Amino acid sequence: MRCILPDKELLQRVLREALARAGDFADVFVEERRVVGITCEADQIERMVAGTDVGAGIRVIAGGNSVYGYTNDLSWDGLMNAARIVVQATGEGGGEKVLDLRPVTAPYAFAVGLAPEKVEAVAKVELVRRANDRARTAGPAVRQVTVGYADTHQKVLIANTEGQYVEDERVRTRLMVNVVARKDGLIQTGYEAAGGFKGLELYQEVPPEQVADKAASRALQMLEARPAPSGRMPVVLSSEAGGTMVHEACGHGLEADLVQKKLSVYAGRIGEKVAAPPVTVIDDATLPGRYGSLVFDDEGTPGQKTVLIAAGVLAGYMYDRLTAGREGKSSTGNGRRESYQHRPIPRMRNTYIAPGADDPAALIASVRRGLLVKKMGGGEVNTANGDFVFEVAEGYMIENGRVAYPVRGATLAGNGPQVLQLVEGVGTDLGFGIGTCGKDGQGVPVGDAQPTILLRELVVGGTEQG
Amino acid sequence: MDLARKFGAETAEGFVSQSEELNIEVREGQVENLKLAREQGLGIRALMGGRMGFAFTSDLSPEAIEKTASLAVEMAAQASADAHNGFPRPFAGYPRLDLYDAAIAETPLENKIELAREVEAAGRAYDPRVQVTEACAYHQSLAHVHVANSLGLAAEFAASVCGGHAVLVAAEDGDYQTGFGLQYAWHLPDVAAGKIGREAAQRAVQMLGARNVEAQEVPVVFDPYVMAGFLGILAPALTGQAVQKGKSVFAGRLGQQVGSPRVTIIDSGLNTAGIGASPFDGEGVPSRETVLVKEGRLAAFLHNTYTAAKEGTASTGNGNRGSFRSVPEVGPTNFYLAPGDLTPDRLIGDIQKGFYVTQVMGMHTANPVSGDFSVGAAGLWIENGELAYPVRGAAIAGNIGDLLTEIEGVADDLRFIGSVGAPTVRIGRMCVSG
Repeated sequence: MRCILPDKELLQRVLREALARAGDFADVFVEERRVVGITCEADQIERMVAGTDVGAGIRVIAGGNSVYGYTNDLSWDGLMNAARIVVQATGEGGGEKVLDLRPVTAPYAFAVGLAPEKVEAVAKVELVRRANDRARTAGPAVRQVTVGYADTHQKVLIANTEGQYVEDERVRTRLMVNVVARKDGLIQTGYEAAGGFKGLELYQEVPPEQVADKAASRALQMLEARPAPSGRMPVVLSSEAGGTMVHEACGHGLEADLVQKKLSVYAGRIGEKVAAPPVTVIDDATLPGRYGSLVFDDEGTPGQKTVLIAAGVLAGYMYDRLTAGREGKSSTGNGRRESYQHRPIPRMRNTYIAPGADDPAALIASVRRGLLVKKMGGGEVNTANGDFVFEVAEGYMIENGRVAYPVRGATLAGNGPQVLQLVEGVGTDLGFGIGTCGKDGQGVPVGDAQPTILLRELVVGGTEQG
Repeated sequence: MDLARKFGAETAEGFVSQSEELNIEVREGQVENLKLAREQGLGIRALMGGRMGFAFTSDLSPEAIEKTASLAVEMAAQASADAHNGFPRPFAGYPRLDLYDAAIAETPLENKIELAREVEAAGRAYDPRVQVTEACAYHQSLAHVHVANSLGLAAEFAASVCGGHAVLVAAEDGDYQTGFGLQYAWHLPDVAAGKIGREAAQRAVQMLGARNVEAQEVPVVFDPYVMAGFLGILAPALTGQAVQKGKSVFAGRLGQQVGSPRVTIIDSGLNTAGIGASPFDGEGVPSRETVLVKEGRLAAFLHNTYTAAKEGTASTGNGNRGSFRSVPEVGPTNFYLAPGDLTPDRLIGDIQKGFYVTQVMGMHTANPVSGDFSVGAAGLWIENGELAYPVRGAAIAGNIGDLLTEIEGVADDLRFIGSVGAPTVRIGRMCVSG
């Protein structure tokens, strides 16, 4: 589809209009997003979806407060109208000067091997079929298989009144497999996903069959599982488990908007010991191909690697422009948004606990009775007090240092700062997970990772007493 | 539709929506964030040889529409053929519902900012320990929806909704607790700003000084917010879609007892107590009331046109559409647990030792297929029929199907949280992990 994105001259006019009455800063974010989605269920290619979304969001910041408006009319009139509507909601007081737009140099580039729009729909259907066929042959207990494929190609233009002008393209693809298995009236599910800031070359590195195998074996394994116990016990989080724990237990609490609103237990604690010494936490945009990677964030700030906790000591927070400006700092490139319909806020990219010095097998062997988490599901945190939970998608009891039997239906509950102090061992390995992180009603793609780690104690919320 | 047919579709459907949104977030009396938005878009479904394709665009220029129609046909070519795919035929009429109030859009912005300020002021004035505002906001959305298909169906409606919410934090001796309040209405004067703020404040303050409890099995009471959360994970299992795919614990159980006799669950697109009301669904099928579980007995499932055709029945008007960007799936309109006749106090009054749950965390991790859930929980500990002290950091686990059979009492305080409604509910016994 031919789609005309606005030129620099128009963006400059829009910015001038936006600061016509008041404001210290304004920016405009223009987006064209093309998506393809395929869903296979009940052995049928049920959903074939394609679409284009275009739009622009205009923001004016005045005295630390922001007014945001968006439209999907990208014509000269459409954009100028949107700017005028935003201006009407700002106060009086004389706007700042608007500087001439100059392109910002990209700090690095990500190579996309096989761009989604260069691949025929039939080839994408084939990837979905391969995953579906593989999962269906995993065993007679497999009752349903859902395979979802999605690719997005997002082109953005970002311009602001400080004269920064950025053009950026983001290509992401994702394949997910959900398997439902049933035996003797018991239903269990297994989920696995692969995704990255990549084109379809991803599926040469991670074949659809591999994603299907993991999802199917997880569902079948959980059919054999015993109900999880309830109570406090040591927990080993395997590097394969994904990074939900670090994301919830500390990531959100280190986002500067929550810190500044005093909604984080980590507020005012820079330089303090907030975790056990082997714990280093990093949020990194620069990792090639990872799901949360980016070259520029959604405010046009170049991506970077941000150390949040260094050897147990709180080193910094994640900032967007607005929160950085309040402290006279620079943005760390964490200003992200779901789409042109949303204002940017501080968000994670790829968040991980850095690998340590312990042998992963030895960490498991050191536990007399506890829980081994092989795969984490979703989670949630109350940043005001640090209480968090996350789901165990694949778990095993450890007895006398050995992996004894699978358990199902457990959630782990803990308190962020306390749990990070309870880290007793950090493995030499590192495993990544992908997810869509929700905050303030906006979902953004993120990666997370961790080595195998041993926690002295967490609350396991199962259904069996003791 | 004509374009889609030109490109090779036998039948086609167009769904157009135009919407406007306003959000005002206030903190410390200042407008911290204000968002104004307009959007429009078109979704086209094309059907040929039983194959259904879908494409959407937010660009409504003639070229973009033409391209979208051809893309929908291209997508259809790759989909599997299924004889049950189809569009609804025209209907004789639609229910009349009072969903649009022009006064919402016409009211000046300043009045709405003032409403958001009132939410915050009432919350902060409730107790000096309410010290931090996470968000106090006013929202409104206006939508105009058109659906038409090549079988002759053509329908449109407009709706406007307004409301507010508050998230406040109470602090004391280094303990921080969050509370939430929310209300939506079809008319601006019905939004009770002070009540929203005070509810959030009260829910935060009552949690101050919360402690952990030992793991134990006790009776558990869910407040309407928490019960509505559980209903949210139950709803998918009551759709024809889940049943047909073997993804529902209720498959093959129509007519059977699936809950205690106190459990009646209803879906109603006609009930304007919830914001899920509309004259028709995303396919143009009229809304109606469907009793899904009647006094514990499974009575019906929800259907869209496709799942109904597959089942040999009629659509229940539950072809839910998130926006012009998505196809109609099967989903609830207003989904609620019918109220009982006891007051919440009576429900708690004869519990010696139990847990009154007011907050859960991680509800989205519950498994809608198996019904298994394990969530973080906080609330108030019940001792001798009274709320004794706040509790945090607990976890409760179980299965939503079992939960229905274990409901011992349903209170008379039905309340809608958006489009899901629940009264206070008492569960016989649950395992609480401390």
